[in-house]
Amino acid sequence: MIESWIIGTLSRTLAYGTPLLLGTLGEIYSERSGVLNLGIEGMMSIGAVSAFATAFLTGNPWLGMLVAGLAGGFASLLHGLVSITLRANQVVSGLALTMLGLGLSGLFGKGFEGKPLQSTIPNISIPILQDIPYLGEILFNNQNPVIYFAIVLTPILSFILYHTSIGITIRSVGENPAAADSTGINVWLVRYLCVLTGGVLSGLAGGYLSIVYRPAWTQGMTAGMGWLIIALTIFSSWSPVRGLLGAFFFGALIHLSFRLQPWVSPGLLKMMPYGSAIIALVILSLGKLNRKAGAPNALQQPYIRGEK
Amino acid sequence: MFKNKYVLTTSMVFIILSLILVGFSSTVVAQDKKLKAGFIYVGPVGDYGYTKSHDVGREYVEEMFPWLETFIAENVQAPDVESTIDQFVNNRDADVIFTTSFSHMQGTISAAEDHPDTLFFHCSGVQRRKNVGTYFSGLYQLYYLNGLMAGALTESDKLGYVAAIPNSEVKRHINSFAIGVKEVNPDATVHVRWLNTWFDPPAAKEATQSLLEIGADGFAFTEDSPTVLQTAQENGAFSFSHYNPMYRFAKEGTLSGQLTNRGVIYADILYKVYYGIYTSNNLKNVDYWWLLKEGAVELGAKRGMKINPDYIDELKSKTVEVPYLGKISVYDLVMKRLKQMKSDRVTFDPFIGPIKDREGVLRLKDGEWATHDELWTMEWAYENIKGPWPGEPKE
Repeated sequence: MIESWIIGTLSRTLAYGTPLLLGTLGEIYSERSGVLNLGIEGMMSIGAVSAFATAFLTGNPWLGMLVAGLAGGFASLLHGLVSITLRANQVVSGLALTMLGLGLSGLFGKGFEGKPLQSTIPNISIPILQDIPYLGEILFNNQNPVIYFAIVLTPILSFILYHTSIGITIRSVGENPAAADSTGINVWLVRYLCVLTGGVLSGLAGGYLSIVYRPAWTQGMTAGMGWLIIALTIFSSWSPVRGLLGAFFFGALIHLSFRLQPWVSPGLLKMMPYGSAIIALVILSLGKLNRKAGAPNALQQPYIRGEK
Repeated sequence: MFKNKYVLTTSMVFIILSLILVGFSSTVVAQDKKLKAGFIYVGPVGDYGYTKSHDVGREYVEEMFPWLETFIAENVQAPDVESTIDQFVNNRDADVIFTTSFSHMQGTISAAEDHPDTLFFHCSGVQRRKNVGTYFSGLYQLYYLNGLMAGALTESDKLGYVAAIPNSEVKRHINSFAIGVKEVNPDATVHVRWLNTWFDPPAAKEATQSLLEIGADGFAFTEDSPTVLQTAQENGAFSFSHYNPMYRFAKEGTLSGQLTNRGVIYADILYKVYYGIYTSNNLKNVDYWWLLKEGAVELGAKRGMKINPDYIDELKSKTVEVPYLGKISVYDLVMKRLKQMKSDRVTFDPFIGPIKDREGVLRLKDGEWATHDELWTMEWAYENIKGPWPGEPKE
């Protein structure tokens, strides 16, 4: 009994945690380069509506996911233009992107509301691996390919960030853009590419919601997930691997808030993601951890060459 | 010359006459001014649930009455109600305003004080004043019929109920569903999970999943999207249409459902406003509580399909013993009860005593019918309901 309980919960955790993970990975890259993007909710909405529209019209859900990524990326460039090129306040620009994204997706999605999607990305079970006790049932039985994509992406992005020159470049731009600039790094280009990565992944997260998770489009269907991702980025202290753990931890909490409802107040469990982000921040800001795993130093600072 | 003068005079007369006619016709047009009705929604029209059902009603009356002009505001939350009403009255000359969420009550009442010449109608509300009436279409009779079918079809004897907000409307729905279940299947239990919001598809999905894990194989719900139904079908369970025909989202999984025809109420209200029967002075006692009898709600997986044909044979093959009716198939029982509640003289209601809540308190004595106020303030949970129940009366 207790076994099927744990297996069921963990299996659902993967399904709910995947959009959180995709968005968090993107936001980590964006913030690592020094650009805070609060527009995730908006980019996810744009991704969700364009994915749904594409899959609905062409009957190809994979093409829908592709378009979701492109649309999210395109939306993020808007944030890049305002906050990197025009050096406006990143918080204001990100919030504007959220509102714009929610509004635009609502407007263009009108015609697709209340329509069922016939072609979704089907769940798969992996032969042999699904027979592994426990792990097989959780990971390899009746799960969606997009979940694997997100999980495989995590170590790749982590490796790039910590063990390649590209990663050093990104992190140095986020820590000290002036120093990076003086070594010949194109700060603007790096920041644009990181923001773009964030946008593409947020778009994919939205596409997952409207094509895989619940195949339908409705205005506001992201229901605050974008804000959860912002909290998660802080919780993970800007590390992709901790981002993965955090996304699935948050996913488990949301699922458990219903699973445990007869015994535990759902309000308490729903508050936990935000509460734990605050606790993580407090722990990080205590002691020496701060230098190693804290927020990028130049986060939220527009870079202006020649200025101190 | 004469001829010219004659032409001139006649043309002058003609011009003056036509000017008078134009003036006259313009006053006729002015008298024939359109009635302007504003609708304020709590969610997006695209929720395909609650807000959509109101908008279908709005389209219905706009089509019906050539003298009617309507406009809407979507996603209006409680704090924005008054400013939206101000804008409707000042900028768009609204004569009648419909506010469609329980959460709009305070805003509607205080805005009605500021705009005494405007008529207001508040859906699901309990407060009225001389220019604020209330209206509501009750779905509980249909939830009872859904409960009869669900109780007959469940194999695990566990039914799930995904509920939005723990208010007395939703509790009334759950109780009627549970009463229907108990009538045909005394062993079955109804397991409730709360979303604490009207619209949050991911949460609705996880709530459904968590109920599937404890073995539920049929689902009812009161929330504003087809998520529960979609998730149920994915996992081989059945569920129901809610507010709107949701059959096309889940052709195998939609057993039946409850559909609203809000246009019927809107038409009655607007007709009476247009012909001066309702004014901004006499709404104090105007309260619509329309049910099956008035045609404000109907049973169906979609319009014209009361019960999904895939399930009819099984419902016909299951029989139960019912007082007064004897041995009867569940299918016939559903149809009989539907007829009893639909007829002009209603001869059945789900809430007829003896009814005990799950704490053992007798809520309705033998043969007693629940009154309007008892239905509207319902807080208790029926015997076969499991799971949390915020605000449950203790004693």
